[in-house]
Amino acid sequence: MIDANVLPRVLHGTSRRPLTLVQHEEAFASHERVTSIFDELEASGLTGRGGAAFPTARKVRLLREQHGRSKYVVVNAMEGEPASHKEVSLLASNPHLVLDGAEYLAAMIGAERIDVCVARDNPAAINHLNQAIHERERSTKREAQIQLHTPPKRYVAGEESALVHWLNDNESLPQYRSTRPTVLKIGRAPALVDNAETCANVGLIGRYGARWFRGLGTQQSPGTALVSVTGALAHPTVLEVALGTPLRMILAAASADSDPQALLLGGYGGSWLGAAHLDVAYDNEALNPLGAAVGAGVIVVLPRRGCGILETQRVVRWMANESARQCGPCAFGLPALSSDLAQLTRVMGDTTAAHQRLIERCDSIDGRGACHHPDGVVRLVRSALRVFGPDLDQHINRRPCAGSTSPTHYVPVPSLEREEELQWQ
Amino acid sequence: MAPRKCPDVIAFTSPYLWYTTRATGMVTLVLFTLVVALGTLVSNRIGGTIVGRFELNEFHRSISIVAMIFLLIHVLTTIADSYVSTGIISIIVPMTSQFKRVGVAVGAIGFDLIVAVWVSSLMKSRIENRSWRFIHWFSWLAFIAAIVHAYMTGTDTKNTAGILLVIVCSLVVIGSALWRYAARPARASGRTALSPLATSDTPSKDSPTTRAFPSDAQEPLGRERK
Amino acid sequence: MAVRRRTGGFVLKVNPILCDGYGHCHELAPELVEMDEWGYPIIVSTPTPYTNLAALESARYAVRGCPRQALRIERVVDQTSPGA
Repeated sequence: MIDANVLPRVLHGTSRRPLTLVQHEEAFASHERVTSIFDELEASGLTGRGGAAFPTARKVRLLREQHGRSKYVVVNAMEGEPASHKEVSLLASNPHLVLDGAEYLAAMIGAERIDVCVARDNPAAINHLNQAIHERERSTKREAQIQLHTPPKRYVAGEESALVHWLNDNESLPQYRSTRPTVLKIGRAPALVDNAETCANVGLIGRYGARWFRGLGTQQSPGTALVSVTGALAHPTVLEVALGTPLRMILAAASADSDPQALLLGGYGGSWLGAAHLDVAYDNEALNPLGAAVGAGVIVVLPRRGCGILETQRVVRWMANESARQCGPCAFGLPALSSDLAQLTRVMGDTTAAHQRLIERCDSIDGRGACHHPDGVVRLVRSALRVFGPDLDQHINRRPCAGSTSPTHYVPVPSLEREEELQWQ
Repeated sequence: MAPRKCPDVIAFTSPYLWYTTRATGMVTLVLFTLVVALGTLVSNRIGGTIVGRFELNEFHRSISIVAMIFLLIHVLTTIADSYVSTGIISIIVPMTSQFKRVGVAVGAIGFDLIVAVWVSSLMKSRIENRSWRFIHWFSWLAFIAAIVHAYMTGTDTKNTAGILLVIVCSLVVIGSALWRYAARPARASGRTALSPLATSDTPSKDSPTTRAFPSDAQEPLGRERK
Repeated sequence: MAVRRRTGGFVLKVNPILCDGYGHCHELAPELVEMDEWGYPIIVSTPTPYTNLAALESARYAVRGCPRQALRIERVVDQTSPGA
């Protein structure tokens, strides 16, 4: 039994190897009988940990109301964000907690199958999951059948409609949904798609109940969240923090630069946050008014010697290449943003015009894709223009900062893949 | 020249039927050439200044109606004319005609294809766009069938004027096909996201092409990604 | 053209995956659709009242004329009383 106000929760009891089923049952033994898991889930106020922070109970309720002979639960462990390693850490420590949560969700909606999806470039995570699934098969009889799937590693492949599209038609392309929320379907069966960390939290709620869950975190954002911290620090770290912890404390816990220039929060589709706001609480209520969000639990620390414009340009260039190229505004707009940013970073050509074009293009592209990929990039660019305003002015006036020509970069952007190498199937 | 009534078989023939078949055949060829040319203009996004793009599209649709009517007359006069025995079935099933089997067969293939294109276009709002486009590509094949049919079956393709007509129509369509490919628009789904079309007006050093991507500059020192 | 008067308004909605930037919608319904620099439609997001017959007709032409069948007219139920 874990105490209500003790960390870690999701990462509890882990060591170098993932917990076996026996160890897992020991570490998370519960003497409480949770009567109605769905009621507990609703009372807990758990929101999705995949980035959108949608109330989990509401999603489950929507699926419960669906008619259908069969329903599926999809566990999204894709982790398309390059700066995020929390799903990997979770699966390397306690895959059984994730599967517990998935089984509870399956029971709540009456699903007969659980599809766990991990990106295929991750042999370690795939291995851990396979082992965990085998262990469960061999032990007690479970109602829902668990299957492991390995879609290609693409940024948008973790988007829930792209994931379902892949399970249906073997193509990791996001789908157009004219009204949201729409229920995604695999074949004709409604599917509940939830992030792996969310499932892990459901697993905890199922054992310990809503009151225990609310023992940490804030009233509006209860519970804990996994945070991947990268950038200006010795090693990339994954921490489990109670929501509402001040950012400064999180940075200190990760041994990050204590006087950064700015933080990138949420992921590559998130926002920059200036250093003036370091004492803000790490939850959506505090971050949203500042134009930021918890998002996918990503924090990238940019030191004073770095250049925010350069880092943004690197991210946008990569994000442009990760476009599914289904919609014109994204397929053409993102590369245009990237090239305008490149002009500003390297101070080439008419920088004032480039700046103006950047603003106009952001307004033009926003909200016009089938998925929110272009919206995220626009959000990132707008936040960069806001947070790095003084530096931006210097670049426009042809006096770029020293950081913009430095070979050291802080945001972990993968190298670009050629068109022909991109795999969508 | 008057219709002859036999005990079991109704025989009906007249040179005018034959003239109509030939004439409508030629007109159909010309009209479909026009349809293909217009379709190519629409696909390559021509228009918007002097004539509207939607106008070319409407023109394409209207001419195709006229072309189908002439095609229908051409087909009906052929089977009605019992001077040469082509049964009704031979307009849709190839190689069932007694007269000029192969020539008519090719015509039948073309007819089948163009009817598929026609019906799918009538139901365009009801079928999936992907399916409609798949069938629509066969219109090129239908045209080839029409040309071969004209050459093999046509009476008038034995003289200069006829041959000239067929050659001119063929050239127009071949030209359309080549131009269709050469001037095809950059589409999002054509994986041209990073084509020069998408970059800003002022050329930048960072003009990525679809050919090669320089791998990103030195990653941060000594850090593993995971 | 038979028209049923309705309360509320409509919006033209485009499926951005099907859309290929042909631009026929902008020609047929210029009051509802603008073009961005790459030829893709920017559609006004505020609902147009059904009382605006000209706009409704344009919208219908645009839906019919789209080569990719990417447009749809969606009804927006107006909460406030329909103004002009």
